[in-house]
Amino acid sequence: MLNSLLRLKPFVRPYRLRLASGIASFGFARVFEALVPFFLATGIDKVAGGDGDVTNQVFGIVAAVAGRYVFVTYARYSVRSVGMRVAFDLRGALYDALQKQGSGFFSTHTIGDMMTRAVADISLVQRLISMGSILLIILVYASIVGFGFMLYYSPALTLLLLPPLPVVYYYARHASRQMGVASKDMQDRLSDLGAQVQENLSGIRTIQAMAQEDNEIARFARTSQAYADAFYRQARINSLMMAWMPSLAALCSITIVGFGGYLVLSGEMSPGALVAFLMYVNMVVQPFRVAGFMVNLFQRAAVASDRLFEVLSLEPEIEDLPGADAPARVRGVLETRNLSFRYGDGLPLALDGISLSIGRGESIAVMGRVGSGKTTLLRQFVRLLDPPPGQVFLDGQDIRDYPLAQLRAQTALVPQVTFLFSETLRDNLTYDDPGREIDSIWAAAEAADLKETIEGFPDGMDTVVGERGVTLSGGQVQRATLARGLIRDAPVLLLDDCFSSVDTETEERILKDLRRLRRGKTTVVVSHRVSTARHCDRILVLDAGRIIESGTHEELIRQDGLYVEFERIQREGAGESDYRGAASPLAFAERAVE
Amino acid sequence: MAEAAQAPPRRDHSLFDAELSGAVLNTRLLRRLFRWMKPYRLTFAASGLLVLAASTFQVLLPVIVSLVVIDHVIRGETEHAPPDFGMVDLTAGLSAVLHIHPLAAACLLYAAAHLCWAAAAHAHRLTLTSSVINGLRDLRLDLFSHLERRPSSFYDKVAVGRVMTRVTNDIEALYELLRGIGTLIGEFVPFLVALTIMLTIDAELTLILLLTLPVMGAVTWWFRRTTRELFRLVRASVSALNQNMQENLAGLQVVQLSGREAHNLERYTEINRRNRHNELRSARWETLYGALNDTMAHVAIGIVLYYGAGEVIQDRMSLGSVILFTRFIDMLFHPIVALGEQTNILFRAMASGERIFQALDWDERVREPDRPVALPGRLAGEIEFRRVDFAYEPDVPVLNDVSFTIRPGEKLAIVGPTGSGKSTLIRLLGRFYDFDDGNIFLDGIDLNRIHTRDLRRRIGVVLQDFHIFSGSIADNIALGDPAITREAVMRAASRVNAHGFISALPQGYDTELAERGQNLSQGQRQLLAFARVLAADPEILVLDEATASIDTETELLIQDALAKLTAGRTSILIAHRLQTIQHAGRILVMNGGRIEELGSHRELLEQGGLYSRLHALQFQDNAETGLPVR
Repeated sequence: MLNSLLRLKPFVRPYRLRLASGIASFGFARVFEALVPFFLATGIDKVAGGDGDVTNQVFGIVAAVAGRYVFVTYARYSVRSVGMRVAFDLRGALYDALQKQGSGFFSTHTIGDMMTRAVADISLVQRLISMGSILLIILVYASIVGFGFMLYYSPALTLLLLPPLPVVYYYARHASRQMGVASKDMQDRLSDLGAQVQENLSGIRTIQAMAQEDNEIARFARTSQAYADAFYRQARINSLMMAWMPSLAALCSITIVGFGGYLVLSGEMSPGALVAFLMYVNMVVQPFRVAGFMVNLFQRAAVASDRLFEVLSLEPEIEDLPGADAPARVRGVLETRNLSFRYGDGLPLALDGISLSIGRGESIAVMGRVGSGKTTLLRQFVRLLDPPPGQVFLDGQDIRDYPLAQLRAQTALVPQVTFLFSETLRDNLTYDDPGREIDSIWAAAEAADLKETIEGFPDGMDTVVGERGVTLSGGQVQRATLARGLIRDAPVLLLDDCFSSVDTETEERILKDLRRLRRGKTTVVVSHRVSTARHCDRILVLDAGRIIESGTHEELIRQDGLYVEFERIQREGAGESDYRGAASPLAFAERAVE
Repeated sequence: MAEAAQAPPRRDHSLFDAELSGAVLNTRLLRRLFRWMKPYRLTFAASGLLVLAASTFQVLLPVIVSLVVIDHVIRGETEHAPPDFGMVDLTAGLSAVLHIHPLAAACLLYAAAHLCWAAAAHAHRLTLTSSVINGLRDLRLDLFSHLERRPSSFYDKVAVGRVMTRVTNDIEALYELLRGIGTLIGEFVPFLVALTIMLTIDAELTLILLLTLPVMGAVTWWFRRTTRELFRLVRASVSALNQNMQENLAGLQVVQLSGREAHNLERYTEINRRNRHNELRSARWETLYGALNDTMAHVAIGIVLYYGAGEVIQDRMSLGSVILFTRFIDMLFHPIVALGEQTNILFRAMASGERIFQALDWDERVREPDRPVALPGRLAGEIEFRRVDFAYEPDVPVLNDVSFTIRPGEKLAIVGPTGSGKSTLIRLLGRFYDFDDGNIFLDGIDLNRIHTRDLRRRIGVVLQDFHIFSGSIADNIALGDPAITREAVMRAASRVNAHGFISALPQGYDTELAERGQNLSQGQRQLLAFARVLAADPEILVLDEATASIDTETELLIQDALAKLTAGRTSILIAHRLQTIQHAGRILVMNGGRIEELGSHRELLEQGGLYSRLHALQFQDNAETGLPVR
């Protein structure tokens, strides 16, 4: 546990003076606090002795109170602010580290997982500093100061008070563990409930169409009951703790009343000291009660720290090689030499010995079944996947020798998975360069057949889309994604199956425009549709990571290969003989990876 | 053809924005809430009695220390007999009966009182919790059932997320309220009992101490008001931080392809900095206020000592009474601090309560017949639309005088441009919407005389946006219907060609699907939806085909499955792919809410109307359009 926490050292170091001053002033605060029972005891004894002048003691109390207030406030603020500053630094570092990761990382880590680290784990570290450390300090100081004063009044009574303290600590630790389990259980039940409601209402039309409302209500009743049960269990454990804890502390009080009372009767202690004892024991017992909670806080923060550094210590997957350089504008000649690629050790080859060369201004269509390697091939050209050295070349130079920023500025990939940010359409279309001219934005929108749609919105280009704005249809999102790629007018344009939600008619219109826009520039299109592929200069058919057919539409149509089969099926529809059994399991794996 | 289903009707925000009163205590609301508490009122009342008992025992503890031990045993005072609940006599009696020192008797009494307090307080908390969570559980179930039965027309108008939070967050706020109320009762009742004793002992000193309460109250109120705004800012900046990061991660590929990493980090840091600023400000206020409670309590101890010393010397108060006052001081300020802590929760809970009842008042529904017709054991499957008109919004007609008949077992395909009313036809057939003009007959029975529940068991509808639920594949096919066995699930899956890909998965039918089935391809999802409808074995099949293009291989499986699904069943297919149309006997062409053409594929091609034009568009094989010039 300690090692995990020590990893946080570099993040705490900049604030160590602030932290130290906070810790020091907690010490002063405890001393001032302990003076209150002392002055009260002196005052009571004076009164008991028949002297009613307690002015000095009252002033003493007021002065102690004022001193305590100042030091406690300062100490709490400075320690908490350190927690906040460390959290600030951690958040920025995590964000930076995550942005440098690629598809390899995100295929094994979900976004939800990363968000948990960013939110819950950082907050645990922050709580460790701003709460856990305070509790630890209080425990140490209160024990020292409280016991100091008690020993001053009566060493014998003080010793008698010691045995219950470990009991209090162990019970508190046990109870807070139980509480932790019960609370977690309750939280889990609550998220089950939330998930069920969300899914149910999202699919309400399907449920109603299948007349499953009654089943769903019965299922919800069970989930809701499970939550109520967990809530009650948690409340019961909490209530038991609230009953037991003071009862254990009462052992101390009874000892003070009994043995302390005896000491007073026998004249060995003053009545004031008896009252002071009751107050001091409170001061000491309190930190022991929360010690279990504190230990728990340290343990959880240690786990959180490990989880954070798991990300923070990652190396970027794909980096610029030293001395990488690129011309201001590439010509757009792509070449692969015997390119082979696999996603990980032990996995089958996703690309298997691909050799091809694409000339400047050429248009290439890539076809193939799901999982045949089409997307994998495209990703090599933008280094979303890093190809092995000496296998992929742009303008004759190994693609690994291009700096990432410059490479990606010149090779525009429009991915299969559409994504728009919850910002205005203008911001989305000019995502790579917010400073673009409005004319070029409209031109790209028009090329993606999105101009009329945008003009139809009251706010036009300034329409906010996505979660916090207008919901676009699947086809509109896909065309906006396309426009974002087209606007860059890059020497190399890579379209990854990005017409799937666009109807054929619209697709034809867009392709017609593209022919004009892409004159003299290189274009690679992945598609399922023969109608898309047929007009490219050259068509490649991939199967299991290999090129099995290559040529123009006319050439391929004369061969008796996969392309012909695609063409026939898409023209005529399926016949009995076309049924080929299951779609490949690889396709499932690949989608899961995405 | 169509790119997507026609645009949903406009969102109706008025459903959510109806006035909330914003009052802290809204008695109408509480009365309504109490209706759900009624079955548990006895437990609730018991909890009230128990807290009184517990508070009395709690107050006895300092009484025993000061009045019994200090005054009676140590100082031997007899004259002043402030209200001691008979503790002095009890101690004396106990000591006489058991032959023990009065000090030991006092210790025994202390232990007994403590045990009674702990037990009564525990019982109070349990009874309070159990009665309230039972009531809330019932309320939550009623709310869910209510929402579950709102019709499609309702969900067209609302964002599901906002409806959902009523069942989750708003009810949860009431659970929070439960905790808050528990805390407040636990603080206020002992405070009142202690106050009574203090007033009996020395009214003047009590009143002096009470004077400090308004000061504490005012400071607390002011602090809460200032920090409420600060806390809101912190919450806002935290959620901005999370949103930014979440979105950046979701779109990270775009970010990297656009080279925006540095720019985005800068934007995030800006929000991060704002958040730190807000947090530090709120921490400053919180720490300033945080130590105030103890401070005031200590000052009050000073006051008691100062005033009490004079009273004792003048023999108007016993020393024990003064000490008793110092022991009560803790109970004095806690309730105010607790109240301050709970006001936000109270506010939120009241607003949540209003939102919950607002949701229970949403009463949009599909009309059900008073005396529904019982459907025969097996329907023949004849469907007739007779002069049906329909509009989602007044003045925007969607269907216009639509009449046609489908013979039992016939397969009808519906085609037409976006917005021509294709999907509306099947929404009416599934009774997702009420319609008034015209009739639809199922085997000659007027649709409006059939209960929707009976109807939907007989008509299997695959919507265009069919929903895949997270859970196992088998669950998704059976859809929670216990009558559908695992064998039936596998049979259905095999028949629609889904068995192949399912059994290739590592966990087969038990493979957990992500939300919305994101780990399946579009085609696989479609096959799953087919299996689901086949498992339910409806007599009539209605299918609104998904538009996205599907890889050729899966397309084959789908077309084959479709042929099996429709075999021997009256089927209506809204077709977006010509392959699908080829399964149909007749084709209905919709345009602008009217039937434009109806006939077989060959007939319609010969007519040379809208259908033949649509057909030509999709199958043009001359190369006048295309990608870059060579």
